Amino acid sequence: MSDRLLKYLLLLPAILIVVLTTVYPLAFSLITSFRDWDLTRNLEPTGFVGFENYVYALTEDYDFYDAVRVTVWFVVLDVAATVLIALGLAVILRRNGTLHRATRVLLILPFAMSPALIGISWRFMFNPEVGVFTYVLGVLFPWLRGQAWLADPTLAMAAMVSCDVWHWMPYMTLVLLGGLASLPRDSEEAARIDGASEWRVFLDVTLPQLRPVIAVVTILKTVFALKMFDQVVTLTGGGPGNRTATLAYLVYRVAFSAFDMGAASALAWILTAVLIALGAYYMRFLIVKAH
Amino acid sequence: MAADFEAPRISYATRRRLARVAETTILLITLAIIVFPIAWIITTAFKTPRDVYDLSIVFPPTVQNFVIAFNAPWNLGSKLVNSIVVSTVTVGIAIPIATLAAYSFSRFEFFMKRSLFLLVLATQFIPAVVIILPFFLMFRDVALMDTRTGLIIVNLAIVTPFAVWMIKGYLDAIPNESEEAALVDGASRVRVIFDVVVPMALPGMITAAVFCFILTWNEFIFALILTRENAVTLPVGLISFRTERGDWWELIAASGIIITVPMFMLALVIQRHFVKGMTMGAVR
Amino acid sequence: MAEIVLSGVTKRFGDFVAVHTLDLAVVDREFLVLLGPSGCGKTTTMRMIAGLEEPSAGEIRIGGRVVNDLPPRARDVAMVFQNYGLYPHMSVADNIGYPLKLRGVPREERAAQVRAVAAKVRLDGLLERKPAALSGGQRQRVGLARALIRKPTVFLMDEPLSNLDAKLRVEMRAELKHLHHELAVTTVYVTHDQIEAMTLATRVAVMNKGIIHQLGTPDEIYNEPADLFVAGFIGSPAMNLIDGRIDDGTFVAGRLRIDGLGRSTRESVVLGIRPEDMTIGPAGSGHGDLPVYSSELTGDSTLITLADGNTRIAVRADKTVRPAIDDVVALRIDPRRCYLFDAATTRRLAI
Repeated sequence: MSDRLLKYLLLLPAILIVVLTTVYPLAFSLITSFRDWDLTRNLEPTGFVGFENYVYALTEDYDFYDAVRVTVWFVVLDVAATVLIALGLAVILRRNGTLHRATRVLLILPFAMSPALIGISWRFMFNPEVGVFTYVLGVLFPWLRGQAWLADPTLAMAAMVSCDVWHWMPYMTLVLLGGLASLPRDSEEAARIDGASEWRVFLDVTLPQLRPVIAVVTILKTVFALKMFDQVVTLTGGGPGNRTATLAYLVYRVAFSAFDMGAASALAWILTAVLIALGAYYMRFLIVKAH
Repeated sequence: MAADFEAPRISYATRRRLARVAETTILLITLAIIVFPIAWIITTAFKTPRDVYDLSIVFPPTVQNFVIAFNAPWNLGSKLVNSIVVSTVTVGIAIPIATLAAYSFSRFEFFMKRSLFLLVLATQFIPAVVIILPFFLMFRDVALMDTRTGLIIVNLAIVTPFAVWMIKGYLDAIPNESEEAALVDGASRVRVIFDVVVPMALPGMITAAVFCFILTWNEFIFALILTRENAVTLPVGLISFRTERGDWWELIAASGIIITVPMFMLALVIQRHFVKGMTMGAVR
Repeated sequence: MAEIVLSGVTKRFGDFVAVHTLDLAVVDREFLVLLGPSGCGKTTTMRMIAGLEEPSAGEIRIGGRVVNDLPPRARDVAMVFQNYGLYPHMSVADNIGYPLKLRGVPREERAAQVRAVAAKVRLDGLLERKPAALSGGQRQRVGLARALIRKPTVFLMDEPLSNLDAKLRVEMRAELKHLHHELAVTTVYVTHDQIEAMTLATRVAVMNKGIIHQLGTPDEIYNEPADLFVAGFIGSPAMNLIDGRIDDGTFVAGRLRIDGLGRSTRESVVLGIRPEDMTIGPAGSGHGDLPVYSSELTGDSTLITLADGNTRIAVRADKTVRPAIDDVVALRIDPRRCYLFDAATTRRLAI
């Protein structure tokens, strides 16, 4: 068989899977987002309502605005904490030593853990009476003693961020370590010979060269934070009230508690649009970097 | 100039010692933060309910929690089987298909290649909630609700593009001289793929397989929405331990061990190749 | 019987033209070397002969048969790759035997042939090893054995010696020369190393930027360069190329006056003279007095660089000649060894 035909045949199954399991459902939910389709009233979709679902979400739906606020707070705190901690840790771990090596090995573990399990375990450990986190934090910081973390909006958000940072930060540290390892050592050594302190070397030589990797980590972490769902369900259930209900979680509630498919699809597509924009930026970044 | 290099108030030797102490402290705290929650879950799994509520560190261990979890009404065993079957079949389908596509992307030029590849890549940015709605509606109609088959289909959506991307990255790094040698030696392209490409790409394929296995194994939202009873997987099974009569922490911990330990072992096996995975070749 | 004929072959990669309407006939049983700097299109040309690249235009024939649409396996060519192209997961024996396996040769016969070929390239005793456990020279010989076992109608070799160290390269060169003599198979050999080209080739095609500048025997390439590119590329140290003009048979450039170059008058010419075709003497005794810019002792000779304004002229003098830097010396040139080139067309001019 000639390569001319074969190259398409090799591609076909994978492209079929992508089209059937992603492109088609995406199109389906896009169409649904223009429909009035409340499963509690109708099993089949009723007529098209144009942008009504979007208009409702953007103008009247207080839940939507709350969810946007929660999501933005979560993403900003989560991404900032993850990237900064990961960067600091990566710089330390770059050196060699028994402790360094042990840490590098163990960094794999949180990422291999089920996010749902992490969420539910955090819920247990933040329990006001029997939670070990509550206890330890209470000993370290007396003003936190006996706090009902998940009942307080700010502390619940902190718990959720800590949960996701614990899950992702170690992995991102490994990524940044990989980036650091690929940097040429001689420019740093030259800076040292030129008289720069370690801090200046990091600031003037290492950091600028690491920028593309930091950008990748930041964009990806933003995407993952926007998609984050499992821990909302298992840790806070969106509470207290809806103060930790992210956009992804709101879509889930509208779809599978209220069964309003049209409204849920519209909300889902608002989230998708943001993610696709980020994805496009990421891919352009990769392509630019490749040249 | 000379002034810059005069001895500082604190001697270099002292500074160095201080830096080393600070570094060690940070690493120890990091290790504690990583290990402590895991250790707490593990120990909880072997505690009696009374020890759980006492926050005991020293306690007589028991395997009673595992016995309870594997029996009715929790039936952890059937969830374990579901997780194994769904993950294995998903990866078993995704990896061969992804390898072929990755090879085509890596070695050939064709019409719309970049667009197609970006399409594959773009799927990774789609939130699960947006594709789960149509699947929920479709699966009602075709009786795939609460079946392993249904879960496998949906998981393929995530795992296949991811595997294509990972394996392509691996193939790109393999020079194709050996393949060309085989072509000149008289092999057909298909023969080249099986005799030369697959053996050389095997480490990459295994890494991708492990990665995809972990993703599928830990997958939560699809299983949460598309299963009720028969096809429930381990992560979703966790929720059933939160009942009206309270949360069964020791059972959650026991089932947490069942979920986690196999993945820890897989992750440690492919440790060296792990990092390249998720960032999709962006970091070299 | 396998002559290779390329007619009007062009290869474009996007906007980049790698090979430009190339015509080339490789005679049966000859050892043709494609020589040129990197990126000149020589490897692309070979890969089109192998069937690894498709020509954008033109026709390739092997043994009279048009092979444009044939996959590599149907062309009966064997190839030795620059990085050896070994199968890292197979043993040495399986690597060498793979072409036979593809042709359905039974196991025992295969083993026998592998042993015979391995003995020929001195790989016996290494047959069970994996390529990773071999040295560079050994890997090279595995690649060679894998090509030899085929008894193909054409050998293609893509810079096969470039990854070997200097000593091994000389050894393998002799090996290849002997093999070609013994097997008398049409061979196309790509290299950027002029010594390899001069020593191995029946004929050399000097390429640059996708075209062949000159096709001829090593002797012709060296002694009758067709244009400035060939003149400057062949020879080490390189031929001096000096911009100037001809005034009634006298070449004039800076402080140089060289007479005896015919009797024409011409603006903007380039004079070519090899370092070994000149000597130096006391000031006033030659074709121009120039200061010494540097003087390097190479062992068998002294390499002297003279400065004429911004022009540098390299002279290979006897090892006993040891001028000091800034000494002013006379340059003595044998006019019969001079070449003249048209500065505009770069072609060589008759003297």
